[in-house]
Amino acid sequence: MAALGRAALLLALGLVGYALFAGSYAAWKRRRRLALSAQNALLAAFPAVVVAAIVLWVALARRDMTFEYVAAHTSHSLPLGYALSAFWGGQEGSLLLWLLILSGYAALAVWLNRRSRELLTWVVPVLALVAGFFVFMLCFVSSPFATAPAPADGAGMVASLQNPYMLAHPPLLYLGYVGLSIPYAFAMGALLSRRTDERWIVLTRRWTLAAWTFLGVGQLLGAHWAYVEIGWGGYYAWDPVENAALMPWLAATAFLHSVMIQEKRGMLKVWNMVLVALAFCLSIFGTFLTRSGVVNSIHSFSQSPLGGWFLGFIALMTVFSVGLIYLRLPLLRARTKLESLVSREATFLYNNLLLVALCLTILWGVVYPLLTEALRGETRSVSKPYYDFFLHAFGLPLLLLMGLGPLVAWRRASLRSLGKTFLVPLAAAVVTGAVLLGLGYGSSWPGLLAYTFSAFVVASIVLEFVRGTAARRSIAGEGRLRALAMLVARNRRRYGGYLVHAAIVMLAIGVAGSSAYQTVREQALKPGQAMAVDGYTLRYEGLRTTQSANAQTTRARVEVWRGTSHVATLDPGKSQFPVEGDVGNDVSIYHDPRTVGDLFTIADQIVPKTNVVYLKVLVKPLVNLIWLAGFLFVGGSLVAMWPDAVEQRRLAERYEPGAATAGA
Amino acid sequence: MAAALAVFVVYTAVAGAGTPQISPSTLASHTGDVLLVGAVVGPVAGDAHSAPMRFALKDVSGHDPARVRVAYRGSVPDLFKVGRHIVVEGTMRNGVFVAKPGSLVTKCPSKYAPAKSKQT
Repeated sequence: MAALGRAALLLALGLVGYALFAGSYAAWKRRRRLALSAQNALLAAFPAVVVAAIVLWVALARRDMTFEYVAAHTSHSLPLGYALSAFWGGQEGSLLLWLLILSGYAALAVWLNRRSRELLTWVVPVLALVAGFFVFMLCFVSSPFATAPAPADGAGMVASLQNPYMLAHPPLLYLGYVGLSIPYAFAMGALLSRRTDERWIVLTRRWTLAAWTFLGVGQLLGAHWAYVEIGWGGYYAWDPVENAALMPWLAATAFLHSVMIQEKRGMLKVWNMVLVALAFCLSIFGTFLTRSGVVNSIHSFSQSPLGGWFLGFIALMTVFSVGLIYLRLPLLRARTKLESLVSREATFLYNNLLLVALCLTILWGVVYPLLTEALRGETRSVSKPYYDFFLHAFGLPLLLLMGLGPLVAWRRASLRSLGKTFLVPLAAAVVTGAVLLGLGYGSSWPGLLAYTFSAFVVASIVLEFVRGTAARRSIAGEGRLRALAMLVARNRRRYGGYLVHAAIVMLAIGVAGSSAYQTVREQALKPGQAMAVDGYTLRYEGLRTTQSANAQTTRARVEVWRGTSHVATLDPGKSQFPVEGDVGNDVSIYHDPRTVGDLFTIADQIVPKTNVVYLKVLVKPLVNLIWLAGFLFVGGSLVAMWPDAVEQRRLAERYEPGAATAGA
Repeated sequence: MAAALAVFVVYTAVAGAGTPQISPSTLASHTGDVLLVGAVVGPVAGDAHSAPMRFALKDVSGHDPARVRVAYRGSVPDLFKVGRHIVVEGTMRNGVFVAKPGSLVTKCPSKYAPAKSKQT
């Protein structure tokens, strides 16, 4: 079995290597048939990697402990679903997942765009270079198919990973990380083939959007996982591993916005190249961070063979990208110039600068401990206040821009028209801010600002929908609902974008509410005793212990009242996992439909002898908006991504005049 | 971009450059607020909720004999036990490292990696 896996990977290495070298040679010397064969080799690498992946999955399902990887990450008592998810539970499997997704994406992207031959000849070797790195690592540095005499039982899976989210969160993140390689490869392919028009952007727009959506949803799922499972009452801790996914997402967000400027106005060509390279390098860096253990100390370089290789690859890709962009600078001149600092283009520019600034300050925070350790021999680290400061300094203006941008005219906007456009949103923001201030929300000014800005953005989005619908009604004479539906259907990118903006506003409100205005209480309770928190009364009734296949669970029964009405029975507790030698925190949450907030309970410490429980209770207002925003986010992205026949035809005419007439 | 850079520079100038991470053997030279990184040495005495919990920390790597006595109040992570690597924030006062309440965090090599300490 293991031999089959190794053989499949070696075959993939050969195919990818051929695609890289033959493909580069063919593109350089313009040998069309050789380029086609390199392209086919890249396509063929996908089934080879699939075979390797199936071998690993079968071994995990059978708990074949002769595989070192299986023995290190599963045990015989581990349920099948988690055993299968151990595929991405460790370093080697994660690399294989990267390669699996990349080769699948690459095959699909190449096949879908096989008509755009000139561009593709250079895209193939770039994709092969990236895939080549991963397949090389899997063959020679970090093989999931290493074997050893089987131990009696495996080491099992870490308790906090044994959660249904383990089945969805890592694969989604990887779908996002890896997806960013496609626009990157097309961008580099465009530079190499000197086809630096907007074509590569048009071809990869949906890829970027899809990867960005996956990455966003993956992070939200991860946040929710941390919220319900890790059990400290939060969902994001500025952990380097979390930042690892946030940074490429921010860079990709900037990219998604700035490409619109290039499409519409032919500006920011260099900037877009830089952003796509930044997003790609950060996604590799993210994989490296989560996988190398370098987060704790640069000394772990020597412990994991992965670190040096990854760092070398990141350096190589950075030099390659920067060098290539520099060489092609003459081809990347803008067709037009920025005409006014008060225009749609300018707001896009501000948005980009803020997103990149936020991304880079986070990057600085992540690498700061490593830099100080390397340069001064003493590790210094930045923590929550650092990140919070920059989230407020750059994030709040970004939130405001989300309301401003879409309402400012292209090219140049007159102050007079601005006054008219912004009257309603501005009034909504001022009223909201004043009312909240009166209600005592001034206790946290970032929170108050977030709420006020959110009101502004919501008003501007609603206004856009109302205006658009009204215009359609008067022109086409449609009914209200039909006009709204047609408005969205005819301008999917625009209104899908607004829906995503609305989702981000929901997220901002949820984050502000649950972090700036939360209440925390902690108390030791004997059975029968009660505590009061923020309008809720919680009475602790007693302990109950149950035994499951691989864990022993003790839970405290807690009855909850709001005022005088009984609203919930909660059971926070702890689970012991004997095989893994691990303890898990089982939090218990009451979702209050009245406030969209949560009553979050943690059994911080259980003393079995006296039945005393140290109960930690957090009241988190509006926190559920964060998770609800996820649905709106996906919905909006889907609208923006949905194929649009009219747009396709228009683009086809613009870039392939011959093909369009032939097709018609 | 210049404005963003200015904000960044001003912040780092005002707020200082992060909290140092110190191992027990090098703690003596630091007086201010630090993050102490070490391996837990028993015995662990007291209940962190009612009175301070007391234990000692030694260097994670190497065989330095230095031990730092720690007094801690607040939540104790589930994974806390003798031998575990932890990070705790606080200051040295009269020979005892007085930790900020609730600042104790256990260290894992990575979110996904299984605990290696068990096998060794």
